[in-house]
Amino acid sequence: MEYVYSVLVMIGIYTIMASSFNLIIGFGGLISIAHPIFFALSAYASALVNLHWGVPIPLAILLGTLFAAAMSVMLSLPSLRISGDYLLIASMGFQLGFVEVIKNVDFAGGAGGLTGIASIYSGPSRSPAFVVTTLTIAATVVSVVHWLTHGEYGRAIRAMRDDEECFASLGRNPMAIKITIFAVGSALAGLAGALYAHYFQFLSPEQFGITQSALILTMVVVGGMGSTWGPVVGALLLTALPQAITFLNLPPSVMAPLQGMLYTGLVLLFLFVRPAGLVAKRLGQ
Amino acid sequence: MLESQILLQIAWTSVSTATYYVLFAIAFALTLKVAQLWNFAQAGIMGLAFYAMYAAMLGWNWPHPAGVAFGLAVAVAASVCIEVWGFRVLRGRRSSSLMIFIFAIVFAEFIAYLLTLVFGTEPQTLTRSIMSEVHLVGGIAISDWDLKALTTTAILCLALFAYLSFTQQGQFLYAVADNGELAELYGISANRAYLVSLVIAAVFVSFGIYLYGTRASMIPTAPLELMLFAVIATILGGIGSILGAGLAAIFLSVLQSASILVIPSQWQGSLTYFVLFVVILFFPTGLRLPAWIRRVARAG
Amino acid sequence: MNAPRAAIRVTDVSKRFGGIVVAENVNLELRSGEILGLIGPNGAGKTTLFNLICGIHTPDSGEIWLRDQPLSRVPVYRRARLGIARTWQNIRLFPTLSVIDNLLMGPRRYPGEALLAGIFGARTRRADAQAARERAEEILARMGLSDARDKTPAELPFGQQKLAGMARTLMNDGEVLLLDEPMAGVEGQVYETIRQVVRDEASAGRAVCIVEHNVSFIRDLCTRAVFMFNGCIEQSGTMEELLASDKLAELYFGGRS
Ligand SMILES: Nc1ncnc2c1ncn2[C@@H]1O[C@H](COP(=O)(O)OP(=O)(O)O)[C@@H](O)[C@H]1O
Ligand SMILES: [Mg+2]
Repeated sequence: MEYVYSVLVMIGIYTIMASSFNLIIGFGGLISIAHPIFFALSAYASALVNLHWGVPIPLAILLGTLFAAAMSVMLSLPSLRISGDYLLIASMGFQLGFVEVIKNVDFAGGAGGLTGIASIYSGPSRSPAFVVTTLTIAATVVSVVHWLTHGEYGRAIRAMRDDEECFASLGRNPMAIKITIFAVGSALAGLAGALYAHYFQFLSPEQFGITQSALILTMVVVGGMGSTWGPVVGALLLTALPQAITFLNLPPSVMAPLQGMLYTGLVLLFLFVRPAGLVAKRLGQ
Repeated sequence: MLESQILLQIAWTSVSTATYYVLFAIAFALTLKVAQLWNFAQAGIMGLAFYAMYAAMLGWNWPHPAGVAFGLAVAVAASVCIEVWGFRVLRGRRSSSLMIFIFAIVFAEFIAYLLTLVFGTEPQTLTRSIMSEVHLVGGIAISDWDLKALTTTAILCLALFAYLSFTQQGQFLYAVADNGELAELYGISANRAYLVSLVIAAVFVSFGIYLYGTRASMIPTAPLELMLFAVIATILGGIGSILGAGLAAIFLSVLQSASILVIPSQWQGSLTYFVLFVVILFFPTGLRLPAWIRRVARAG
Repeated sequence: MNAPRAAIRVTDVSKRFGGIVVAENVNLELRSGEILGLIGPNGAGKTTLFNLICGIHTPDSGEIWLRDQPLSRVPVYRRARLGIARTWQNIRLFPTLSVIDNLLMGPRRYPGEALLAGIFGARTRRADAQAARERAEEILARMGLSDARDKTPAELPFGQQKLAGMARTLMNDGEVLLLDEPMAGVEGQVYETIRQVVRDEASAGRAVCIVEHNVSFIRDLCTRAVFMFNGCIEQSGTMEELLASDKLAELYFGGRS
C-alpha cells in the first residue's frame, strides 16, 4: 500500500512539474532544460531553513518556492536580454553548475545527499494525507496554468509568440511577459520540489541532472506541448510506465540508462511521428 | 626562477590541452555559421566516435590508425543520418527552432544513455596507459602526446582554412552561410552545404575525441560538458567567426589551467559554468579581436 | 498661445545597415493636426524611418524627440505607450487571434499585462478591460468590420485585413499616427473608409504621417509632403511644389520629363 501511495504522490509531483514546464516551453516558447534545478533549489532551501533555523514547514515551502522564482530571474534576465538561443545554453550551464555546487557544499549534505528532513505529516495516516495534499495542489497548479494561458494574459502570450516585434510596437513588453512566465513556471517547479523534500525526507544531487530534464521534457512533448491536459496525461503515463519496468527486476546499472533511453526515445519518436503530442491543442486556442 | 618554470610549464600544457577544445569549438562554430544550427547533437557524435574507437582499439585490438578510421567512419555516418533523417526533415516541415533544439539535445542524451547501457559508467581511455614519453626541453616537459596533438590540430585547421578559402566548394559554404535562399537562386544547394558542414564537424570531433581519449578518461555523459566548453568558446569568439571560436578555446583552456593556482580543486568543475555566465552576461557578442586578426579571418 | 513644439522631431538622424545608407542626416518635423505625406521610390528608406521613430532600429547618430523628450533610450514598447502608433506595410495581424482580440492588444494600457497588478487590482482591471472592449467595438463599427470581429485574419479579404491593421493601431489613442502604405492594394469602399479615418484622426489633433505612392491620395489629403531618396530627404513642401520640381521627376520617374 505504501508503494501505491508513493506512486500517487509522484504522479502529483510530476503533474506539477510537467504543467509548469509546459507553461515555460509550450506556451511561452522559452527553451530551457533547467526545470529540475529549480525543483532542487527549492527542495534544498525549504529543507535547510526548516532544519537549521526551525522555520515551520508550510512557511519553509513558501520560502523555497519564492527562492526558485528569484533564482529563475537570475537565469532568465541576463540570457533573454540577448536572445532566446542563449537561454538554452545558459540553462544547461545553470543546471550542471548548480548540481556541482550542491555536491560541494557541506551544509547541504554534499554529494552523499541531505538526510533527516522533517515531514509535514506524521502518524499512521501520513501517506494518504500526503496523497490528498499533493493531488490537490497538482489540480490547483493545472488550473492556474490554464487560467494564465487562456485569459487576457494568455492572449498576450499568444500575440507575443506570433510576432514579437509587432507586439512590442503596440506597447506590450515581451521581456516582462517572458520573465514572468519563466518565474511562475520555476516557482511551481519549486513548489513541487519542496513537497518532494518533505515527503521523501531525502535529497541527493544526483537526482536533478539531465535525466530529470529529459523525463519532464518527454512528459510535455508526448502529452502535447501547449495544451492544458497534455502534460497531465504525459505525467501519468510516464510515471506509471517506468513502474512497470521495475517489475522486470533489472540491475540498476541497466535500469537507469534503459529508462533514460525510453524517455529520450519517446521524445524523438513523437517529434517526428506525432509532433503535436497525444493531446493536440485545439487550433486557435 | 622556479616560479617562471612552473608558469611556462602550465602555459605549455594548457596550450597542448587546448588542442581538442579547439577542434570541438571549430566543429561547433562551423555548423552554427553555415547551417545556423546550434548543433547540440554534436555531443552525441563525440560519444559515438569515442566508444567506436574504444571498441576497436581495446575490444578488438585494432591498431590505432584503424581504430581512428573506424571512429571517424561512425561519426561521419551518424552525422549524415541526423542531418538527412533529422534536421532536414524538420526544416522541410518548417518546424520551429524549439523543435530543432529539442531534437538535437535529446538525440545527444539518447546516445549518452545508449552508451551507458552498452559500456557502463566506468571511466575509459583509449590507451591502456595515458602516460606518454616525455622530453625535457629547457626544463619544460614536452610529451609525445603534446606533439601529436599539436600536429594533428595544426594540420586539420590548415586543411579547413585551405578548403574554405581556395576551393569552390568552400566558397559555397560561405555563400550559404551568408544567405541560404539567395545561394539557392544561384544554384548552390543549401542542403548540401549543411551536410558538408556537419561532415567536416564530424571529422574535427573525431580527431578531437581521439586526442582527448589518449590523454584523459571518458564517461558517456562527459561529451555534453565538453560540448558546453565548445559552446562557450563559440560565443566568446563571436558567433559567425570560426577562427574566433578556435582562439577563444585556447584562451579558455589557458584560463582553466591557470585557475589551478588560485581556485581550490573541488571547485574546478564549476569553473566552466561560471565562465559561461560571465560570458553571457558580459560578452554576449564575443570578445573583439584586434583588427588585424579580424582582417585575416575575413580573408579566410 | 505659443507655437507648440512639433509632436515628433527627427534631428540629424543617420543610419546604415552594413554598407547601405538608409538614413542620412534626416531632419523632419511632424506637427499635431497635420497630415504629412512621405513619398519616394521603393528602398528609399521610408519604412526604415518609421522603424527609427518607433524604436525598432536605433539611429547611428542624431536624435528623435517626442515633444521635448528624447527617445533614444526609450524601448519600443514604451514609445508606443507614450503615444506613437504605427501600421505595417505588410499588416502583421496576429494570425492566431481573432480580429477583436487583435484590437484588444492595441491599447496603450493593456489590462491583462501586469500579472500581479491583475491579481491584486482585479476590479480596476475589469473596468479597464470593459473600456477597452467598448472602444474596440466602436472602432470596428467605424471601420465597417463589426461582422468580422470573431474571424481570424486569414479568413478576411485583403482590404479588410488592411482595415483591421489600422483599427488595431487606432486602439492607441496617442498623439502620433504613422501609416505605412495604407492604400497599397485597396480600392472602393475600403479606400474611402481609410481616407475618412485619416481625416478624422488629423482633425482630432493627431499628428499623422503617411507613406504612400498614390499621388492623388497625397494631394487630396496631405497638407505637406516630403520626398525621400536613398535615405535623404530631398525636398519638402506642398504636393504641388514637389510635383513641379524637376529633381523629383528625375529621381522618382527616372527623368520622364
Ligand atoms: N533590417 C534591415 N537590415 C538590412 N537592410 C535593411 C533592413 N531594413 C531595411 N533595409 C534596407 O534599407 C533600405 C530601405 O528600405 P525601406 O526603408 O524598407 O524602404 P522603403 O520603405 O522606402 O521602400 C532597403 O535597401 C532595404 O534593403
Ligand atoms: Mg516600405
